[in-house]
Amino acid sequence: MRMPAFVRLTIRNIVVNIDPGTLIFMLGLPTLYLFVMGFMFQGINPNGGLVVQYHGIAIKYTTFLAPGIIALQAFTAGNIGGSMLWSDRRWGMFEQIMVGPFRRSEYLLGIIFVSIIFSLVGSAIMIGFALTIPVRFNITPAGIGLFILTMVVGTMLFSSIFLIISGIAKSMQAYNTITILLFFLLDFASTAFYPITNSTPGWLHVIAGGNPLSFISDILRESFISGVDYNSLYYSGILFIAMLIFFVLSLRVYKNIRSGI
Amino acid sequence: MDSLPEDQYEVVVENVKKSYDGKKLALDGISFHIKKGEIYGLLGKNGAGKSTTIKILTTLINFDSGTCNIAGYDLRKDSSKIRKIIGVVQQEESFDFTTVENNFKLAGMLWEVPKNIREERMEKLIDLFGLQEIRKKRMYDLSGGQKKRVQVAREFMHEMKVLFLDEPTVGLDPIMRRKILQYIREQAKNGLTILFTTQNLEEADMICDRIGIIDGGKIVEEGTSEELKLKFGTLRTVKITTQTNVEKYMNEIKERIKTVNYEDISFDENKILILGKNVDRKVGDVIGSLYEMGIEVENVSIENPTLDDVFMRVVER
Repeated sequence: MRMPAFVRLTIRNIVVNIDPGTLIFMLGLPTLYLFVMGFMFQGINPNGGLVVQYHGIAIKYTTFLAPGIIALQAFTAGNIGGSMLWSDRRWGMFEQIMVGPFRRSEYLLGIIFVSIIFSLVGSAIMIGFALTIPVRFNITPAGIGLFILTMVVGTMLFSSIFLIISGIAKSMQAYNTITILLFFLLDFASTAFYPITNSTPGWLHVIAGGNPLSFISDILRESFISGVDYNSLYYSGILFIAMLIFFVLSLRVYKNIRSGI
Repeated sequence: MDSLPEDQYEVVVENVKKSYDGKKLALDGISFHIKKGEIYGLLGKNGAGKSTTIKILTTLINFDSGTCNIAGYDLRKDSSKIRKIIGVVQQEESFDFTTVENNFKLAGMLWEVPKNIREERMEKLIDLFGLQEIRKKRMYDLSGGQKKRVQVAREFMHEMKVLFLDEPTVGLDPIMRRKILQYIREQAKNGLTILFTTQNLEEADMICDRIGIIDGGKIVEEGTSEELKLKFGTLRTVKITTQTNVEKYMNEIKERIKTVNYEDISFDENKILILGKNVDRKVGDVIGSLYEMGIEVENVSIENPTLDDVFMRVVER
């Protein structure tokens, strides 16, 4: 039986991207965040640990942090996906593939699929690590369904953002500078690590509130902690629309990437 | 889709024009045909249009006007079909960021080469291209020449009808270059059609069945190496070795042999080098003049024109 072209490209992307550097970025960094930040912040309050109020529920900081770290997998996998295009352009493989038995759309599908696979596998590993802390998750079928959907949509959103950067960056330095800036901005100005409270400065409130990573983190918290409700579906809808907008934009940029020049 | 009969040309390029900026033509009506199993060499200076031609024929960039056919497929209508039957070694390096072995395996997998054939072919190519010692190394740890070897070898992982080689031997040592050229020659004997660009005229002379000299975006001369040499190679070099240091007699020698109509003459201790059209036919006159001056001739050799001579004359005329 013939293997579809995008599946072959997905396999190729997996083989090429399973290297120590990528694995450390994808799994090592979030694991460190989970254990080091989790335990250090948890230890701030010596009397029973740090407690965070979330949707009126008092939860341990580690339980609050874990969904944020899981959400990070959508960001890192999306980053890896977008970087694949950059790397292939940089090392001549984009053109090499384009002169082979593939269409542009199949190449793009290969990148999106591998990002989703990395995101889901990475988040499953993070859930496993989180459960060893242990964190108190309330796992339901609806919660699992929403978690998978959110990770897929979130990964596609970040893949699209990084594909746009890969498509327009003219040099390695420009690409690296933009991605590092985005990495810090999106990671730390989000609700992945800490909640937005009344004492959060207004400007940071706006940035963190509009950050897609905050949306993913909060939807995952509702999936695993407070339970799925209309509120979670509403935020999922916004995330989906944002993903569609960036996906269309990334397609336009991708279409205009000239090969052979 | 109509296919050309088997016995006709595998690559047909007719009056193709291409401009990148809408003003200056990178290709100005280039036309050439390549027969099945033929190695066609495209020679030209930097910027003559060699790489643009290859990029158009490999479907990477569009062309403004003209027609291109590859194995019977129209390049404008059937680019996806063409991509299934061609192989391309680009001038720029291209590799997957993994080991040498994985580069071969991935190429085989992407081209749907059955797994058993894939392994066997990979081993053969690794042996043939001298990659045994570096097969486990990652690509970015290799030297430029080693990367090039992998890049060329990897392209032979899949079956193809037409192979485009854009300066494939740049950075290779002479032994490996010869080995690779021999392998390419063998593939052509087995029916593979090859378009080969190079700036190394010696290797074009060695492996190309026909050569097209491209200048200003079009083919300005075409033929076999011998045909081109015959057409443009009337310039000969006569090398005379004497038993006397001729440098001190150079003015007198020049005066005596001025009827030879040479284009250039040089003296180096006991050697005289005379360059000119048909000077080989007047060697007797030169030897006679030297004899009259009491200079004994030890050896005379006439050097035939090289492809370099042809190339220089065509692009500089």
